[in-house]
Amino acid sequence: MIDFEGLLKALRDGGVEFILVGGAAATAHGSARLTEDVDIVYSRGPENIVRLASALRPYAPYLRGAPPGLPFHWDVETIRRGLNFTLTTSLGSLDVFGEIAGGGSYESLLPDCIDLTVFGIRCRCLGLDRLIQVKRAAGRPKDLEAIAELEALREERGLS
Amino acid sequence: MTERGQRNEVRLAPDPVIEVYKRDVDRTLLRENLKLSVDERFRKLLALQRFAEELRRAGRAGR
Repeated sequence: MIDFEGLLKALRDGGVEFILVGGAAATAHGSARLTEDVDIVYSRGPENIVRLASALRPYAPYLRGAPPGLPFHWDVETIRRGLNFTLTTSLGSLDVFGEIAGGGSYESLLPDCIDLTVFGIRCRCLGLDRLIQVKRAAGRPKDLEAIAELEALREERGLS
Repeated sequence: MTERGQRNEVRLAPDPVIEVYKRDVDRTLLRENLKLSVDERFRKLLALQRFAEELRRAGRAGR
């Protein structure tokens, strides 16, 4: 189970520059699909990497699906050397992307974001049209139903 | 819902494959969700997650 509020609060309190993407962003736009993780795109700026490392450290981030005991340290060096991380944390599963397929970096997604206040926490969320565009560009068969739902949402909102 | 508008317009041409999938989307669920605030949508998702977790637990116990 995901503690959405806890995760968003940890990132906000840590001053992390991030964009909510994926299933949680779809939920914000009105999706009825069940998602079991939170996906974010973070800025790769050096200061933000320091903030991201600090913000998540108290929640024991570990590589999801990796065998226990693997030498994994969630720190600035790990984030600098890597890019995308699929993590388990004590607050739930969190996917942390430096770049996403079809979408690029935090900076390239920024113009297509909306500002949301969820659980009293202000955060950036990828806009519906760009979310659809990113999922289309990723070209994953498993996303077809999700894309269809997002496009239906767009129609229901009178945006098409 | 507290939400500020999207700044850039992204062009989305219809995709024939997606159009086929779209026929099976239950729009009644979407219309209900669109009446909710963002907070309410996330609370609904949390409730759904709890239900899914409980069903998994029950399924394991029943095997």
